[in-house]
Amino acid sequence: MLEVLEALLFLAFDYAPALVFASLGAVLSERAGVVNVGVEGMMRAGAFAAAVGALVVPTPLGVVLGMLAGACLGAVHAYLCIRWRSEQVVSGMAINLVALAAGTFLLEALFAPTGTPPIAQLERWSLPLLKEVPIVRAASGHSALTYLALALPLAFHLALWRTAFGLRVRAAGEKPAAAETLGVSVSGVRYACVVGAGLLAGLGGATLSTSTLDRFEHHMPAGLGFMAVAAMVFGRWTPLGAFAASAFFSLGNALRIGVASSAPAVLQVVPQGFLLALPYALTLLVLGLQRRRGAAPAALGVPYDPETR
Amino acid sequence: MRERLIRGALPSVLSVAAALLLCFAAIAVVAASAKVALDAYLAMVWGGLGDLPRFLDGAGVAVLARPWGEAATKAGLLALTGLSVAVAFKAGLFNIGAQGQMILGAIAAAFLGAQLELPALVHPLLCISGAAVAGGLYGLLPAALKLRRGVHEVISTIMLNWIAVSLVENWLVVGPLRARASGDLSISGTDEIAATAQLPRLLGETSRLHAGFLVAVAAAVLLHLWLSRTRLGFETRAVGLAPEAARASGIPVHGRIYQAMALSGALAGMAGALLVLGTEHKFPATIGAPYGFDGIAIALIGQNHPLGVLATALLFGALRAGGTRMQLFGVHKSFPELIQGLALLFVAGRMVWDHLLALSKRKRPAEEAPRA
Repeated sequence: MLEVLEALLFLAFDYAPALVFASLGAVLSERAGVVNVGVEGMMRAGAFAAAVGALVVPTPLGVVLGMLAGACLGAVHAYLCIRWRSEQVVSGMAINLVALAAGTFLLEALFAPTGTPPIAQLERWSLPLLKEVPIVRAASGHSALTYLALALPLAFHLALWRTAFGLRVRAAGEKPAAAETLGVSVSGVRYACVVGAGLLAGLGGATLSTSTLDRFEHHMPAGLGFMAVAAMVFGRWTPLGAFAASAFFSLGNALRIGVASSAPAVLQVVPQGFLLALPYALTLLVLGLQRRRGAAPAALGVPYDPETR
Repeated sequence: MRERLIRGALPSVLSVAAALLLCFAAIAVVAASAKVALDAYLAMVWGGLGDLPRFLDGAGVAVLARPWGEAATKAGLLALTGLSVAVAFKAGLFNIGAQGQMILGAIAAAFLGAQLELPALVHPLLCISGAAVAGGLYGLLPAALKLRRGVHEVISTIMLNWIAVSLVENWLVVGPLRARASGDLSISGTDEIAATAQLPRLLGETSRLHAGFLVAVAAAVLLHLWLSRTRLGFETRAVGLAPEAARASGIPVHGRIYQAMALSGALAGMAGALLVLGTEHKFPATIGAPYGFDGIAIALIGQNHPLGVLATALLFGALRAGGTRMQLFGVHKSFPELIQGLALLFVAGRMVWDHLLALSKRKRPAEEAPRA
């Protein structure tokens, strides 16, 4: 029983970081008032660039390339939404469609239809003290990104709620006109946050192709970007909430994989489809039960036009 | 009228042209040869519009009919999902959930097509109606969540998409509705639909052009007439443009939104029915292609005008049918989807076009208006 639990936790520790990074990115962008449904596309760009980069340069540098690729798409999103006040959902979905098709096109043109050749996976750290203790030892033996994913949410929480920059970000998302009156450059803050969101989504994608797996596969990230959006909503647009939701979804997914491989009889009673639908159904349920208005930033999705102040 | 048409369509035309050019450059760079890119584009055009050069060489009518069939099949699906997104837009809602509504429509059509025994004409009509009802009910969910609980429809439809995929593809299609295996053959997907439920082919056996295309064209024309010529259509547009003003003038805003989302879901559901009754003849293991998301691109490039949506769907249906021919030149068949995605990105930046067009106008001194 203990071993099963340990294996489950280990799987979740491997699976969660991509979701954590991407949902933190979504939180950052939406806290500043820019809707980000392009996470899926930015993750795909990150996963692809990281895997292709790692074929040539050392894998950690490949991860950086993946982050930059995500940031590039983030910059496109920011430029369209902030400079040209485009419909933010449209821009996000366009980025998804472009990344989906461009990834397939480049993969086919440069490698094979199913995926890139394997790369050197990120080194797995074995933690000297932890690995002796049962259960807790599931936390040992992951790549550096897993430990980063454990630390980053807290850092984001402190940055958003305890620093001047965090206050500016939240002001840009709640009442941009008031922020501008106090001398905050709303578009500057929004640019920083949306590009940062791309950076994080790219990191999430890179995690998939360099840490969770050892290559880019043609269907990556297979909806994980949308699940990151769900985690952000489930976590009420807060870093710690998004982290908790990501961890919860990942644990659920690990449980599903574990059940499917070790106890397939259970799936006769509870079909796999129910388990797959659960994170999304729960998110809808929580949204449906909450008070009206909810936790979303007040100016979310509203392009800021200084002239209509 | 003509001026309005040109002004409305110009940003879309420019966006598609820019996307075509950019993608041309992409192939030329990757293949390091402009000749390859040109050949691939020609293959795409003839593959979508019918192989005119070979027809003129006397190759028989099949070289025209087969590409038309492929193009019309794709265009029908794109038109219906595009109309689905467009009609929700008209009421001021962003329906990202066409994919999920389409999946529900497809499984409803596959179920009714396989389980019922009905005469030839009635059977497909009933399947399409069933699919429309399934998709429409699923479309009402985000409307109810928005109006009663304040949940934004973009969020709820993202969730509903994945719920539909999980429940249909990972439960119904592999569980209760899985095809009964005959002999040792293991079959994926649901049971084949009855022959009576299949949509009749219009150009004989050489072409896959089926009656579903006519359904899509009729839907576009009817939707246009409904939006522009009836009171309900006018009220729906009023709700989308200015909900407060609509409420003040006595239009039941909630009612119009529910109705538009039901219609939107029904159109997406019909797209699912077309896929099942016209091409696949069952619900396959997975729908695979994200036609629901393509619908967003088609609707916006078509400027949310039913006839614009139809024209856009025809264009991209032809490009995507022709895309399979590009593989001969080492270009992946999903390439037209890249063109489509980029075109949407450029349409998203429509303010950029407006700005550039305004600039080019200002350069002509004769038209310079005195500025306030």
